[in-house]
Amino acid sequence: MSTFREASHITTGKFVDPTPAPAEAAHPEVGTTSAPLKSAAFFIGSYCKDYNEDFMLCKDENNDPAHCLKEGRKVTRCAMDMITKLRENCEKEWEAHYKCLEKHNQEYYACRKPERTFNECVFSKLKLEKVIPGASNTPIHLRENTIYN
Amino acid sequence: MSAVPQQELPRPGGFPEIRYKRYVPKIGPSGLALFSGITLMCTLGLYRTGQGNLERRELEREKVWSRIHLIPLLQAEADRDTYRREAAANEREAEVMKNVKGWKAGESVYNSKRYTPQTFVVVP
Repeated sequence: MSTFREASHITTGKFVDPTPAPAEAAHPEVGTTSAPLKSAAFFIGSYCKDYNEDFMLCKDENNDPAHCLKEGRKVTRCAMDMITKLRENCEKEWEAHYKCLEKHNQEYYACRKPERTFNECVFSKLKLEKVIPGASNTPIHLRENTIYN
Repeated sequence: MSAVPQQELPRPGGFPEIRYKRYVPKIGPSGLALFSGITLMCTLGLYRTGQGNLERRELEREKVWSRIHLIPLLQAEADRDTYRREAAANEREAEVMKNVKGWKAGESVYNSKRYTPQTFVVVP
């Protein structure tokens, strides 16, 4: 079944399941779009490291969506917590950065200036630092003279 | 036959020099300068390309890590949605097949305990 065939003769239009979630899977979602998430990715990653790793280990154990609902809720709750904190402390800087990302095809290199102010704000208020694992010498987001900018 | 035969000789004073060389004024830089200039340009350009390649690799790594950090969040959300849809589909299937004896709604077609996404979804 490597090819996807749309069952156009059976269904008409897109089917959206209206059934509400059962109690064990009900949880509010973060509801953030891609650019703010990409902007905050490294902070979410470092702030929620334990929950994220726990969830991924659980997924590695069993790929069934029902298997890791509890861990998944913790991951989502942690991310929501982080997003609330970012909005409370650095909303202006964050907004400047993700709007820049929206404008520049979501490329980090095109938005180093707003990124730096955002990172400084997060570091001073939340004590979180953007760290790219395995970077040799100066990490790319801290370099001054870059070819791509 | 006393007269000595007169051999053909150049005119007195000799012929003027034949101008076979191109008398074009020399313009522009010398060949050596051009060659070394182009070599320098190519070297610098290649160096910059190499630096750009290294930088692009780092940018790619940065992008990949940003996605790695977001995967648990997105996967958790997708899992909850899949779970909700599958539960609803199973309920519908059970309703449709309630008169068939021994029918298990949402049973895997594979003889394995490993989770496989449903091939067919029961749509009302």
